[in-house]
Amino acid sequence: MFCSIMSRRLIDLLNTLPAWLVPLSLLVAVEIAMRGSGIESDGLALPSQVAIALAGLIADGEIFLRTAETIGAIAVGVPVGGTVGLLLGVWLGLSPKAAQLASLSIELFRPIPPVAIIPLTLLIYGLGIRMEAAIVAFACFWPMLLLTRDAVRSVEPRLIEVARMLGLSRARQIATIAIPAALPRIFTALRLTLGIALIVAVTTEITANPIGLGYAIISAGLSLRPEAMYAFLVWLAVLGWLLNAGLIALHRRLFGAAHGEVAA
Amino acid sequence: MNAPLAPAVAACAGPAIAFDGVRLDLGGKCIIDGLSLTIAPGEFACVVGPSGCGKTTLLRLVTGLLSPTLGQVRRFGAPVDGPSRDVAIVFQDYGRALLPWRTASGNVALALEAMNTPRGERVERVAGLLDKVGLTGHGDKYPAQLSGGMQQRVQIARCLAQGPRVLLMDEPFGALDALTRQALQDEIAKLISESGATALFVTHDLDEAIYLGDRVFALQGNPGRLAEVIDVDLQRPRDQLRTREHPEFLRLRHVLFDHVQKTH
Amino acid sequence: MSNWPLRAGSVLVTLSILLLWQAVTASGLVAPVFLPSPSSTFANLWRGLIRGDLLGLTLSTMERMIYGWMLASLGGILLGALIGLSPRARYWLTPTLELLRPLPASTLLPVGIALFGLHPSMLLGIIAFGAVWPVLLPTIHGFSAIDPRLREVARNLGIGPFSFAIKFGLPNALPDVIAGMRLSLTACLIITVVGEMITAQQGLGATIMMAARSFRSTDLYAGIILLGVVGAINNALLGIIERALTPWRTAHA
Repeated sequence: MFCSIMSRRLIDLLNTLPAWLVPLSLLVAVEIAMRGSGIESDGLALPSQVAIALAGLIADGEIFLRTAETIGAIAVGVPVGGTVGLLLGVWLGLSPKAAQLASLSIELFRPIPPVAIIPLTLLIYGLGIRMEAAIVAFACFWPMLLLTRDAVRSVEPRLIEVARMLGLSRARQIATIAIPAALPRIFTALRLTLGIALIVAVTTEITANPIGLGYAIISAGLSLRPEAMYAFLVWLAVLGWLLNAGLIALHRRLFGAAHGEVAA
Repeated sequence: MNAPLAPAVAACAGPAIAFDGVRLDLGGKCIIDGLSLTIAPGEFACVVGPSGCGKTTLLRLVTGLLSPTLGQVRRFGAPVDGPSRDVAIVFQDYGRALLPWRTASGNVALALEAMNTPRGERVERVAGLLDKVGLTGHGDKYPAQLSGGMQQRVQIARCLAQGPRVLLMDEPFGALDALTRQALQDEIAKLISESGATALFVTHDLDEAIYLGDRVFALQGNPGRLAEVIDVDLQRPRDQLRTREHPEFLRLRHVLFDHVQKTH
Repeated sequence: MSNWPLRAGSVLVTLSILLLWQAVTASGLVAPVFLPSPSSTFANLWRGLIRGDLLGLTLSTMERMIYGWMLASLGGILLGALIGLSPRARYWLTPTLELLRPLPASTLLPVGIALFGLHPSMLLGIIAFGAVWPVLLPTIHGFSAIDPRLREVARNLGIGPFSFAIKFGLPNALPDVIAGMRLSLTACLIITVVGEMITAQQGLGATIMMAARSFRSTDLYAGIILLGVVGAINNALLGIIERALTPWRTAHA
């Protein structure tokens, strides 16, 4: 079974291989065109220069330093905002009454874009990791709250009926049925939330906070080092892709066998 | 209102549908082998057989959605070389065969649009067709707002709108409850005899096959072959109680039942 | 929400949040420069709207956002339809799109500034480019994932490729497209605000940044509330568009 899945993935990968030549040949074309025309711009860099710059940033460790700053803000913000959102979400998912009482407040406060509170956290905390973590927490609170609420709410009612027929107490119904049944979707919520956290952290750094990968990107751009700017961008894209792919793989490993159908 | 539905009655002599030594291989597997049969114009032919005996495949060969590996399928003397508007097909899964974004009227009108019927004529003809299948006043409803039986009526109306010379039906009432099924059986028998079209009706329900058909073709599986043909000599119009209690009906039922027991 | 006591209760919950806010500021626990009282915030907001300056700033932010959104939607739908309807285009372009997708839209701002300078149309272009992804990917999916049974129906009726794209592809994709346009509008608002903050172009983003830097907290809170209002208007707008364009999904027996 496992073998056949692996080989199928391998075959899928081999089948898509020629299509990966498209971005590769685009890069080569850009390189040749720029060399040929001799264009000089403060905003452009040869793909080869970008690769060299990326290697340099990795070699002297600067890229890891910047990454650590961004991840630091996420590591503080996500647990804070995510936990509050998770607990509230479970509560609202279990109690339709509570969900209705909270509905107007959610409708009013939810549409505030997280970036709108960048100036507010700046006013309160000044520059640094605390203001960034606060924005990340605010940004993570909402998706975690809403996705968890929906995950718990959509637990198969038949399962709850089974629990009631078995005479389980309310607390045990929640602990043994509702939460485990909702877990795969809560994990999906966590994955989406982490993606948002990375975007919001980098955005905050680009906008106001002089730390992390976001600041590295904009300061490289402003100090006329386009090759470094693109190198940081490539790194960030890889980071975002790895984060997502890693969490999807983890999701499969954790819930693949037991919750295959539920997760799908 | 009957005029557009009446097909050009086959002036040519010869069968409406002819299978001539047909063999079909799909994915290296032989699905149908050595199948020969003919169906006369205006005949109501039913096909029964165990699941996997190629009943649905047989219909697809008539539509031209599939082509035989060996042998030939002819409609009105001409070899089948692809779908034609002369042939309409009613699928069992009406929920997937209707356009969810179009109302009942819109779904019926689709066939008229495909035939480039002038816009002005469409409204009246759609209304006439909906009346004919007993959906008067339901034209503005979306499929999701209709019961299963009503959705299947919409599909039948869309097929009738094509003015087909051949109407193919793939277990059209298999997913419906018993009462709805009986009502629709009587209506389809009436609609077919009014239109003069040739009908090929696939079902796994022996009673349904005898009740509707002029002839019943019994297939056997692995690979699909013709096992038996019985003529149904029962007076029309048929009646859900009297026909089903008729000694001849019961005799034919025995014959078919014994046959199916044997080939299983 | 058919239950009126709960509905009234949900208004009470919201009011008590505002009352709590008022009580906290009245108690003096938090300095008014961090958290001004709701009464002074709303009074300030009202003054700004009456005078017209806040209204003007809101409108210029909304204008930028809407133009960017319209560009993104148009581009995303056209490109998505082409890619979605052609298996070959899908095959060859999927890896390239997968590579571009994970970049946060706001990171394009530094690139835009480096390439084109602080130009208003640069900002608009970045907004559109960053917001095109949420439309493009669902559109591709919607046009390609048509039920095989419906493809058979189309073949059986002899419906041509153009007709198929209009009558089957587009409506099949529409729910996905609208969901994408909703995300895209949210992205547009975010990129617009960030863009205004960085480039200091006229709008709410630059205004609240200035307010924070000069410790004018009632202006700051008024601006945040207005951005929330813009977000709420966006949601309502998309709700109306959704009901108008996909009636078959909202209609029930």
